[in-house]
Amino acid sequence: MHSLIVENLAKAYGSVQALRGVSFAVDPGEVFGYLGPNGAGKTTTLRIILGLVRADGGDVRLFDVAAPDSRSRVDVGYLPGELHLYENLTGGALLEYFAGFRPGRPPVLRQQLLDALDVEPSALTRRIKFLSHGTKQKLGLTTAMQHDPALLLLDEPTTGLDPLVQRAFRSLVLERSRNGRTVFFSSHVLSEVESICGRVAILRRGELVAVESIESLRSKMVRRLRVRFRGTAPEDLVRLPGVTRSQLTGSEVSLWIRGDVNPVLRRIAQAEVEHFVFPEPELEDIFLTYYQASK
Amino acid sequence: MSNLLKRLMARHGAFLAVIAALLAGFEYLICAIVATVNVRGMLEELIKNLPPFARTLVEQQFFGGLGPAGILAFGWNHPITLALGTAVAIVLATRAVAGEIETGAVELVLSQPISRLRYFVAQVLFALLALSALIAVGACGTLLGQLVYGIHVLGAGTLFSIGLNYLLLQSAWFGITLVISVFGREAGRVAATGFVLALVSYVLQVIAQLWTKATPLHRYSVFGYYSPLDIVTRHHVPAKSAAVLLCLIIVAIALSAWRFLRRDIP
Repeated sequence: MHSLIVENLAKAYGSVQALRGVSFAVDPGEVFGYLGPNGAGKTTTLRIILGLVRADGGDVRLFDVAAPDSRSRVDVGYLPGELHLYENLTGGALLEYFAGFRPGRPPVLRQQLLDALDVEPSALTRRIKFLSHGTKQKLGLTTAMQHDPALLLLDEPTTGLDPLVQRAFRSLVLERSRNGRTVFFSSHVLSEVESICGRVAILRRGELVAVESIESLRSKMVRRLRVRFRGTAPEDLVRLPGVTRSQLTGSEVSLWIRGDVNPVLRRIAQAEVEHFVFPEPELEDIFLTYYQASK
Repeated sequence: MSNLLKRLMARHGAFLAVIAALLAGFEYLICAIVATVNVRGMLEELIKNLPPFARTLVEQQFFGGLGPAGILAFGWNHPITLALGTAVAIVLATRAVAGEIETGAVELVLSQPISRLRYFVAQVLFALLALSALIAVGACGTLLGQLVYGIHVLGAGTLFSIGLNYLLLQSAWFGITLVISVFGREAGRVAATGFVLALVSYVLQVIAQLWTKATPLHRYSVFGYYSPLDIVTRHHVPAKSAAVLLCLIIVAIALSAWRFLRRDIP
């Protein structure tokens, strides 16, 4: 049984088609990335999964229960992309309030999460309106995960978290996955998805561009590399395997490489390098990869 | 459900307590005025100088022939009393849906294993309980005032009927505002629309009372179906008024539920 099945999902807001025939399935224990730029339809998909937004067409099933049915959400934890909490509640009262919706599911992970996310004890006694954005986000994560849900739906979960806490959060997610919990992770940051997800669905303008394993994605990904040499750039560089495009201006060369970058890096290492830039791939580069592949 | 009701109590408790205290205090004050001031003499003097139409209005509509029971009943029809109850009804209906959507917290709440219907029922149930409690506290103000000042003109039965009519009136305002709330996203706009509707309805009622030719307008005002003075004379809520308000409440709540169960959140 899949943890989550999304079939042919469609949704329009007036004349704007937010989702067009989106389909995918997520297996138990999987960390599934849902990647797309802002406005691609990621949040709409999540809201339909949770029954917050009505789909114009298609089906969603959570643990084999149709999504609008509230029973489908018993074993689900959710962190919205735009987190709004009851500002007048204390952090502790907030966690208690949301735990109260699942009387049969005690918040077994609460303390572990508060410790791992480094939540100050005072955050539990102070009103939420007086807490920092990062602390609110940590409380939101704890709210979503405290009952150890079988399926965790996270919409841009690391927004507002400092790098150390982001790392702690990634460890928590991977640990939940090792314990057989499913994580559905929506993000517009490729490196974040790459670091924890086993499989990824790529969404653009409401359409699913691809559903791939991270390894497959990496092998297809075209990455750009820019090098300035001391002296002339090696001419054979542009003919190396994987180089799909190149631009040579004097001692500086830009290369677009698909798949394994090692042959190119080895060749570069044989020359005298003055400046080397190998940036994180942009989402648009990924989309370009798939569009070129489909043509 | 109990989780939601507890949360609603925590959220609205202080507001409700203040309004209830004001209502009880006001009704107690009316008793004090009836017992300690010669209202009848003062008003008779005042009425002598009023034009005929205003004299009729003050005598018949507001003070029921200027008896103590009429003045106490007027305490339950005073603009302050009406404003307090209507404010509670409008605020609760506004916050129930549009207010929750505006703050954004509803997204997290409805992503929990709770159906929208259950959420909606909790909001309506809480509002009806809150309005009932408000009326009970206000009635205690009247009863205490009568006890302290030794005026026993409004019996518990009559007061119960006035309270019931008041509950139906304010529930109707809750229902009307709830309809606006389930279609809205901004609490301020929903509340403002509710208050404008209530004000227009009240003005319509006053015009219908003051101007004979406008008397038929009476039936188009929600306040036209609330009359504590009629209850003082008949000792029960007029059936027609009760039926109209009840129908209004049922239709408004049913329409709100229909819309809320289908709308996108947020």
